[in-house]
Amino acid sequence: MKKALVSLAFCLLALALAFGQAVSTKDMKALVAAAQKEGELTVIALPRDWVNYGEMIDTFSKKYGIKVNELNPNGSSAEEIEAIKANKGNKGPQAPDVIDVGLKFGPEAKKEGLLAPYKVQTWATIPESAKDKEGYWYGDYYGHLAFEVNKDIIKNVPRTWADLLKPEYKGKFALSGDPRISNQAYMTVIAASLANGSKSPADVKAGLDYFAKMNRAGNLVPLIAVTGTVASGETPITIEWDYNALANRDKLAGNPEVEVVVPATGVVAGIYIQAISAYAPHPNAARLWMEFLYSDEGQLIWLKGYGNPIRYADLVKGKKVPADLAAKLPPAPAKVVFPTLDEQAAAAKAIVEGWDKIVGADIQKR
Amino acid sequence: MTALAEREAAGPARESEPGPRAGHPRADVKRSLSWLGLVPFFLFAFAFMLLPASSILVGSFQDAEGAFTLANLANLFRPSILNSYIVTIKVSATTALLGGLLGFLIAYAITLGGLPKPLKSFMSTFSGVASNFAGVPLAFAFIATLGRMGVLTVFLRTAFGIELYDAGFNLYSFWGLSLTYTYFQIPLMILIIEPALEGMKREWREAAENLGATSLQYWLKVGLPVLMPAFLAAFILLFGNAFGAYATAYALTGGLINLVTILIGAQVKGNVLHDPNLGYALALGMIIIMTACILAYSWLQKLSSRWVK
Amino acid sequence: MKRKTGLSWLWLLLGIAYFFIPLAATFLFSLRGKKGVFSFVAYANVFADPLFLKTFGFSLRMAILTVAAGLALIVPTTIWLHLKVPKARPVVEIFTLLPFVIPPIILAYGLIRLYAKPPIALVQSPVLLVAGYVIISFPYIYRSVDAGLRAMDLRGLTEAAQSLGAGWLALMLRVVLPNLRTALLSATFLTLAIVIGELTLANLLAWPAFGPYMAQMGRNRAYEPAALSIISFGLTWGAIGLIQALTRSGRDKASGIGAGAH
Repeated sequence: MKKALVSLAFCLLALALAFGQAVSTKDMKALVAAAQKEGELTVIALPRDWVNYGEMIDTFSKKYGIKVNELNPNGSSAEEIEAIKANKGNKGPQAPDVIDVGLKFGPEAKKEGLLAPYKVQTWATIPESAKDKEGYWYGDYYGHLAFEVNKDIIKNVPRTWADLLKPEYKGKFALSGDPRISNQAYMTVIAASLANGSKSPADVKAGLDYFAKMNRAGNLVPLIAVTGTVASGETPITIEWDYNALANRDKLAGNPEVEVVVPATGVVAGIYIQAISAYAPHPNAARLWMEFLYSDEGQLIWLKGYGNPIRYADLVKGKKVPADLAAKLPPAPAKVVFPTLDEQAAAAKAIVEGWDKIVGADIQKR
Repeated sequence: MTALAEREAAGPARESEPGPRAGHPRADVKRSLSWLGLVPFFLFAFAFMLLPASSILVGSFQDAEGAFTLANLANLFRPSILNSYIVTIKVSATTALLGGLLGFLIAYAITLGGLPKPLKSFMSTFSGVASNFAGVPLAFAFIATLGRMGVLTVFLRTAFGIELYDAGFNLYSFWGLSLTYTYFQIPLMILIIEPALEGMKREWREAAENLGATSLQYWLKVGLPVLMPAFLAAFILLFGNAFGAYATAYALTGGLINLVTILIGAQVKGNVLHDPNLGYALALGMIIIMTACILAYSWLQKLSSRWVK
Repeated sequence: MKRKTGLSWLWLLLGIAYFFIPLAATFLFSLRGKKGVFSFVAYANVFADPLFLKTFGFSLRMAILTVAAGLALIVPTTIWLHLKVPKARPVVEIFTLLPFVIPPIILAYGLIRLYAKPPIALVQSPVLLVAGYVIISFPYIYRSVDAGLRAMDLRGLTEAAQSLGAGWLALMLRVVLPNLRTALLSATFLTLAIVIGELTLANLLAWPAFGPYMAQMGRNRAYEPAALSIISFGLTWGAIGLIQALTRSGRDKASGIGAGAH
């Protein structure tokens, strides 16, 4: 009797859950079936340790039995767009189904007809400012720029942008990329600018001056900082997205000790966006991937990777965030600036034109 | 010179002589048919190199919307871009010379220098690997050696009290980059010049010494002229090798040294600029420069083969 | 006549120092996987990864295919060039040096654009990848073979052999190729090393090759990339050394009319 009652309770519970999402379950089931029939998904430029994408991919693959092709993991956003263009008509594993690119690539790609619109089930919970009204692209996560410091080498950890100019850090700082090429690096210049009096992300003169000063002081090493150079002490201080810095810290596991510092002023956040390729060889698998990313499960996987998932406010409201996970996250900074598309474009132009004069080596003079 | 050596020397020159049957109709047909032998090569190069590259590089003449424009090519003449071409040529030429010279000395040491035979195989196989040790691993290896925290830097500081960086040395500079490039240039030179050195007959050296020539005279009158074609060929190869290199420079010097290859990467792959058509125009510029260099080299080759006469 | 070997030893030792010190520095760094002690844990991590051997094996196979295809294409062409059509040399040289200045990313995009779509869909097998690799190795293979042919008196040997009644096949197999041994080996070594480490083409054409694997390893880790550098250096050297050893046995059989060249 007891056994029967328990089973009945389970059935009722299942029914309740099913009816709770009555309409979408039928669509979802159809979507899952169609995706499984396609059997494969090709993602591009998703490093496994970038916002915990490794776990995201593995969980998705296991859950639905869909093989995931990880194309060009270290690719840039530009390469993702180019991959769509170059592979039009190709149904092989070289053609990406879905892309995860910097904010400004969304409208560009939409204009060039490279994207297919799709609105996930949880569409309404994505902030308006972070998505395209027609559903061509949608923000997925963001991070703040933070200092990554090798504590074994740097005993006195810098806490502010002004600290980085101090003589004790001579030859100790390097950017994580070339600001004319890398998203992270040019956002760093914007952040420095905001910390040094600029009123808007579009005006980067203060940032360029800051780095000119740093270069003259000898604090700026013209190297591209990677985990290896941070660990070896060649570039013990660098600036990266906090999710990357924290992941590095965890990976290095004390060898060396790494501290991640979000400065008090000049905090910039960069949003990345998801989109489905208009030429996707596996369109249903692509949609299922999106549904997964924007489900509570997917968003929490990103949170585990120290990213700020775009539906975070909604998750907190629904009390979906486990306490231990919430405890692991660094405290949210007080004032965060999200540069808009126009501001980013203006800043990019100024940085590209001005950066040469700051750190460019004039070979003739040597 | 011995008769054998004279024959050797006359060899290359003979190729440019028309031959006794020139002008004869049957010989001419035979000559044009000879070009057929090169067809497989040209077909392959066309199908898998020229056609794909052109299909993309045609973008140098297009703007973002696909319309025809010469603006990209005009942009190549901006001072910053012209400067980057000059810098790239400088780095390539410098490392080609450095790598060429040092590579030659080492190759000479192992082939004709009287060293034990196993050393030659050792250096040859090592050169094979080292010639491709480039990019991030090479940059990191040099950072780990000569960077501010590098093994050698620290050693000099602790053992001899020499502060390398205070003394003016900087790995992150033109010369630091050249030093790093030389790591794969020297092995390439060794592998390329080895056959030529092996072809240097011992009898010539002995004959010259028997006639009372000094080492210097031997080299000036016999060695260099014979080796000149090989030197030139090696130089152009080393030059091209450095010209097209990208990953090592980017990993070692960030954006400090503006090489054209880095600029191309910035436009085609970069997330900030992203003007691929300008990138394609830059690549086209490189192809034109390289072709010009090759033509100059071919002309020099013709000249040098006349020396050998 | 006693050769003065002192200077030769000097250059050799200087060269060896220059080559080995950076490798030693990398090696020392790779041993820092555990704080404070010398530890091989970074190496253990690399070997424990099943992808390591899988990708290295794949790239090694591609390298062998590339060497075979590249030599088959370029050696006959270059011999023909030297013997029959010397006037074509500048054209061929331009073609063989162009791969230096065509950025690999552009070559990859071009190959995909042209050959990845039906009806020519060449992407299911690694044919396109090997074709791309052959193009990339053009400069090295051609230059090696060309240098080797210049160092021997090809015309003289050919005439001598033919006057003795040798047919084309005998000429190639018994006269020309044995004398090209050094050059062919150089070409093989260079191509092998290039293909094993190649990154861009393999990435964009979506093949599980060693180059992309190494690049991926380098992202968030400090010590494993250094260990990988050393391991891949060693493995590639081993592969090349094996080829050197295997071809040694053929050397003594090479008599040939050009024996005076040695």
